[in-house]
Amino acid sequence: MEQRLRSKTRALLEQGKVDWIIGFEPGSLKFTTTPLITKDKNDTDRLVINPFIVNNLANFLTQVKGRVGIVVKGCDSRSVVSLIQDNKVAREDLVILGIPCTGVIDLSKIEKLVGKDRDELNDIAREGDKVIIRVNGKKKEFPTTQTLFDNCLACELPTPQEYDILLGEPSSPIANPAAQEGIKKLKQMTPEQRWIFWEGELSRCIRCYACRNVCPACFCQRCFVEETEPQWVFPAPRWQDNLIFQITRNIHVAGRCTDCGECERACPVNIPLRSLTREMYDIVGELFQFKAGMDKDAPPLMTHYEEKEAEDFFR
Amino acid sequence: MTTTNIRPSKFLAQDNVYLPHIAVIERIIEETPGIRTLHFNFKDGKLKKEFSFESGQFGEYSIFGIGEAPFCISSSPTRRHHLEFTAQRVGRVTNALHRLGVGAEIGFRGPYGNSFPLDFLKDKNLVFVGGGIGLAPLRSLIWNVIDNRDKYKNIALVYGARSPADLCFKYDLDAWGKDKTIKFVTTVDRGDASWTGRVGVVPKILEEVAPSAKNAVAIVCGPPIMIRFTFPVLEKLGFTPEQMLTTLEKRMKCGIGKCGRCNIGNIYVCRDGPVFSYEQIKSFVSSEY
Amino acid sequence: MTSKKVTKRDVIKLLNQWRQEFAVFVPSIESGVATMARWEGKDTSFLDWYRNTVIPPKANFLPPMEEMFRFRKDREGYNIELPPDGEKQLIFGIRPCDARALAIIDANFRDLYQDPYYLSRRNSAVLVGLGCTNPHDSCFCTSLGVSPGESADVDLMLTDIGDEFLLEPISAAGKELIARSRGLKEVTKDDETRAKEIKETSYNKVTRKINAEGIGAKLLAGFDDQDYWEKVAAKCISCGICTLLCPTCYCFDINDELTKQQGTRFRSWDSCAFPIYTKMPMENPRQEKWRRVRQKVCHKFGFYPTNFNVIACTGCGRCIRLCPVNWDITQVLESVPLIETKRGKASNTL
Repeated sequence: MEQRLRSKTRALLEQGKVDWIIGFEPGSLKFTTTPLITKDKNDTDRLVINPFIVNNLANFLTQVKGRVGIVVKGCDSRSVVSLIQDNKVAREDLVILGIPCTGVIDLSKIEKLVGKDRDELNDIAREGDKVIIRVNGKKKEFPTTQTLFDNCLACELPTPQEYDILLGEPSSPIANPAAQEGIKKLKQMTPEQRWIFWEGELSRCIRCYACRNVCPACFCQRCFVEETEPQWVFPAPRWQDNLIFQITRNIHVAGRCTDCGECERACPVNIPLRSLTREMYDIVGELFQFKAGMDKDAPPLMTHYEEKEAEDFFR
Repeated sequence: MTTTNIRPSKFLAQDNVYLPHIAVIERIIEETPGIRTLHFNFKDGKLKKEFSFESGQFGEYSIFGIGEAPFCISSSPTRRHHLEFTAQRVGRVTNALHRLGVGAEIGFRGPYGNSFPLDFLKDKNLVFVGGGIGLAPLRSLIWNVIDNRDKYKNIALVYGARSPADLCFKYDLDAWGKDKTIKFVTTVDRGDASWTGRVGVVPKILEEVAPSAKNAVAIVCGPPIMIRFTFPVLEKLGFTPEQMLTTLEKRMKCGIGKCGRCNIGNIYVCRDGPVFSYEQIKSFVSSEY
Repeated sequence: MTSKKVTKRDVIKLLNQWRQEFAVFVPSIESGVATMARWEGKDTSFLDWYRNTVIPPKANFLPPMEEMFRFRKDREGYNIELPPDGEKQLIFGIRPCDARALAIIDANFRDLYQDPYYLSRRNSAVLVGLGCTNPHDSCFCTSLGVSPGESADVDLMLTDIGDEFLLEPISAAGKELIARSRGLKEVTKDDETRAKEIKETSYNKVTRKINAEGIGAKLLAGFDDQDYWEKVAAKCISCGICTLLCPTCYCFDINDELTKQQGTRFRSWDSCAFPIYTKMPMENPRQEKWRRVRQKVCHKFGFYPTNFNVIACTGCGRCIRLCPVNWDITQVLESVPLIETKRGKASNTL
């Protein structure tokens, strides 16, 4: 798969079919990959496909100008489609290289299972439905489902639907109920308990805005938190204002969020942001029978008006 | 170069560099529809008497509850009956400033920054070039110079704005127009029915006026685009980069070189400026000014 | 005064003593996030897992959000009130990289004007350092003149020598603290030899290295190379993680809040990575991302050293570990092209 990816992307640049290639290359830390954004065909030799390709590269489509050859997993391909639906990028400007995804390994989960930090591990290898970890000369084995990101376990479209080149055999959803543990626990709480829960979580927030910046759906030139006339949200990390920021951001991305889970992964203080985004995603599915990023020709949910609207005040 | 040494403000409230002094608005002048000058004095009698500053310095003005913003002190240190600053309505704090009435209380921290180097300007011909609200810091220096007239040689002033309605400090323009010791030229980018003066952008008019660079210093202040086009004109007229001074503007918060945001390279506009010579600006590592 | 030692089991007694005088902060973990948090007196289990915190100890001196003063309007006008004095802090377990970072940013808060909030906390605090025995693979402190096992920037320095900690007084405050602490044991020659060995081993465990020699001049010579900086900045997403969690970053924002006739002026952490950091009404000198990335790198390794003779980085590695896209400053610093420019000078002159 990797060889095919490298030769295809090199050819795309050589033949002038794209201006940019966006993919994954090995990161500077163990078990890490990092985005590769390049115009140089020789850089394509560094592209990789492995269980650690976690970034949603669709995020970069609103930053580069020109035609792009972009490497996407299932979730990312939906973000790409969502951006096409929003008119932020044109389909004909893209060459989509799709990877049928079997899930990305969550290093935090591995750290919890093994009881060691990631830089203390010697190797992490995926062998079918098992993940084998080597640490201090010993071998530890875990079922793969215990090591993958929650949103991978809940993923509805691991194989990109919209693509130009599919790099491998299609894969199926894992549909593991463990993915919804966090949300289930929250739903069992009373509103007062939930309030206390979120106060605890959001008190750690430092307003780094990584959750917003890593999200492909957040492409506003000027975010509402940056407005001063009026000042919608107080610009300091007081937990109540952090809550307002999260709620508002969720509402802003409703109908365009594809539950890629990047917001939760990027958060440096482990706030369970996906509990909010996934819940919003499920509400959107329930109320409007709409899932973001499934059909590039479908109009975006929140900015689209039909005569047969559900609400009276629209007619 | 020849800017005055950086000296910290000695007027601290409660010994805390971030605490503003309370000042009261005494008079408001609507210079143009979006620009007003506010005259103020400190509430504390002792501070009102003892406060001093130099032309070119700025203060951080507070509208309590809304925020703080930097503005130069546009009155002259030679006229201490009150203090003045001029602000254009462009954002949160300035919108609030424009809603204040006489008697309102604001906060003031300062004076901050360096100042125009009077020693360097002594016995020289001075060429002031101003655009729009950029006249505000120049104005402090112009009155300062006029009040010490024998220390300086010839004075020339080229001042312009987008239109006659956008000219600031019209009362000063009248006074300077009548002053026989000042070669005074106003211009507008676009005239109107009643305008009888020159028409043309400031750099172009400056080129026509063609002040001599001999023993002269040019002090330029205005919108960045005006400054960028004025420097080449001055160079053509024979001014060296040392002979050109300007004041720079940056987004500021603390005003005292701590919060980090007003830097150009290793220089902080709030503490090493805002007065700089073109020679210094050319040596800035960053072209981000 | 010579060093003393304390068994790991007795550390809790020591902390309890110190708790009578200071607000004691120790490494704590909540939802997998390590921070320096107020010690509640329960246990010292942090000794089992502690490597370094996510939020750096700068938060104890420059908090993420801090009240500067309160104002109130009555019939006579505005009254300004300062917040109550803070408590004396004792930070237990601060690493040499973070302690050096505090010493580095002291220069900014002292220069020309004294920052009352930061300095009052700094002057009243006691730092009890703890030498690293298990550095991360992202640490590169040794390239920046910091040793994982030693520190001149703390009051008391602890070295893990097995079942015990060696306590070395570094400052006068540290000496005094040892003098009035009970339950400390005498140190043997073997203890001292062992401590020395451990410090050396820790030093050699730091494998990530950069060449910091002349880095400022190199960066500033290539300052205008837009192509280079665009490539460097390509994958950055302009969040604030690297800067907010950096122990040597100190930029802050100031904002007011008003409720009827009274309110507060706050300061809070800010970042040069944010697009509006330098935004003015009519223009923004760092609108483009590459300019902001360039600013961050050049400020830390060029501008700050020009002003204060010290690089504003201590190799703690947080930025590398926590960056969502694995943007790695050590890779950037090692790849700065050697560019000869007409400019020649490496810094601004005034």
